[in-house]
Amino acid sequence: MAQKTVLLIDDEQGFLEALADALESEGYRVLTASSGEEGLRIAAAEKVDLVTVDVMMPPGRSLEDRLSSLTTGVYIVKELRKSFPKLPIFCLSVITDEPTIREIERSGGRFFRKGETSLKHMLATIHSALTGTVRSGYTIHRWST
Amino acid sequence: MSSPEPDKDRVIADLKRQVAKLQAEVAVLQTANARMNKERIEYLQNVSHQLVAPLNAIKWHIENLTSSRIGLDRAKKVLRSIYSQATIAVHLAKNFVFMSNLEADHSLSALREPLELVQLDRLLVNLADDFQPLGWNKEIDIHVDTKGFYNVPDVLAIKPLISQVFSNIIENALKYSKKTSVIEVEGRYVPADDSVVVTISNEGIPLEPGEVARIFERGYRTKEATNAYPAGTGFGLYIAKKIMDIHEGSILVESPRSGRAVFHVVLFVKKLQGKAREWPKKPSS
Repeated sequence: MAQKTVLLIDDEQGFLEALADALESEGYRVLTASSGEEGLRIAAAEKVDLVTVDVMMPPGRSLEDRLSSLTTGVYIVKELRKSFPKLPIFCLSVITDEPTIREIERSGGRFFRKGETSLKHMLATIHSALTGTVRSGYTIHRWST
Repeated sequence: MSSPEPDKDRVIADLKRQVAKLQAEVAVLQTANARMNKERIEYLQNVSHQLVAPLNAIKWHIENLTSSRIGLDRAKKVLRSIYSQATIAVHLAKNFVFMSNLEADHSLSALREPLELVQLDRLLVNLADDFQPLGWNKEIDIHVDTKGFYNVPDVLAIKPLISQVFSNIIENALKYSKKTSVIEVEGRYVPADDSVVVTISNEGIPLEPGEVARIFERGYRTKEATNAYPAGTGFGLYIAKKIMDIHEGSILVESPRSGRAVFHVVLFVKKLQGKAREWPKKPSS
């Protein structure tokens, strides 16, 4: 099976390192971006199989005026969805209000609360979204768009 | 004989005016209260977000460590990341303690530990070591010019408070520095007024003149800073200024055209000597 590529868009270095490290040790190719602008640029240039997006992060200079009232994460989900209708997009955040979560889900992203999701669960969910199979011991809804 | 009715009407009209006035005052107070509640909720959300982020990263790093496939090199890398995230969490938690104390008491009397002679270069080198891992990702180096401190005498200060002043400036510098840049930490003694000036400068977001004037205000953040790092509170420099006021020193900022942000912390070597007796004594061990 060809190596799958996961793009992580997040400005929190610790989170980025932890997830990137775990994914790489599982054999995935990992690309990282620390702003929305950088994330969109990489997604357009590389063949990416799954994206994780932090909800609250810097947009990057070229996106500053385009966000309107949207948080960066929601804007990124909407932009990615326009170009990649089937791409699994996971949104992660420590605190996000219900309307924002609903907006993420309406836009085609799936929301995870950082403090409440274990790394093991996150890896299993990513694995499930990329392979369509569920690891033993996990009940994970299959990714569908 | 005049009728009592006009008097009664006047009293009623007067009472109605007073009631209307009180209602307007209550409405103003309710609006102010709602605004304060909103600010408090936003503050708590921000605090939670900032603290949970490094703690969650630590949790995930530990999950990585406990994975059966981990080798020694990877384990070392993970431990370094845990150390960085723990440094951030401790730093943030300290700032929140300072903030909650400042809200109740602007002189921070509850946090005043005894004055002691502080060797600034040693303090700054230790802080640089603590914070350096946070710069690895952006290839930012913290350089303490220890030679410049040769003539700098120890200063009388409350060490944990002064340490937080420098931590806040260094942490800001790390957040807003450009990739592959250097944070310079320099010190010099000024005999004319028996003071020590510690200068911390970094290359990053330049400050506009209007922003320089406001940067020590409670909660103030420049637009550029908010765009670069949305989750900040704008409390770090406010706390630093309050601590410097307690030390009767000062903290100044300049943003020259070169794009560097330059902070000067001015401490007087013996100014607080006469006050040492008024402050708590260091417990004998």
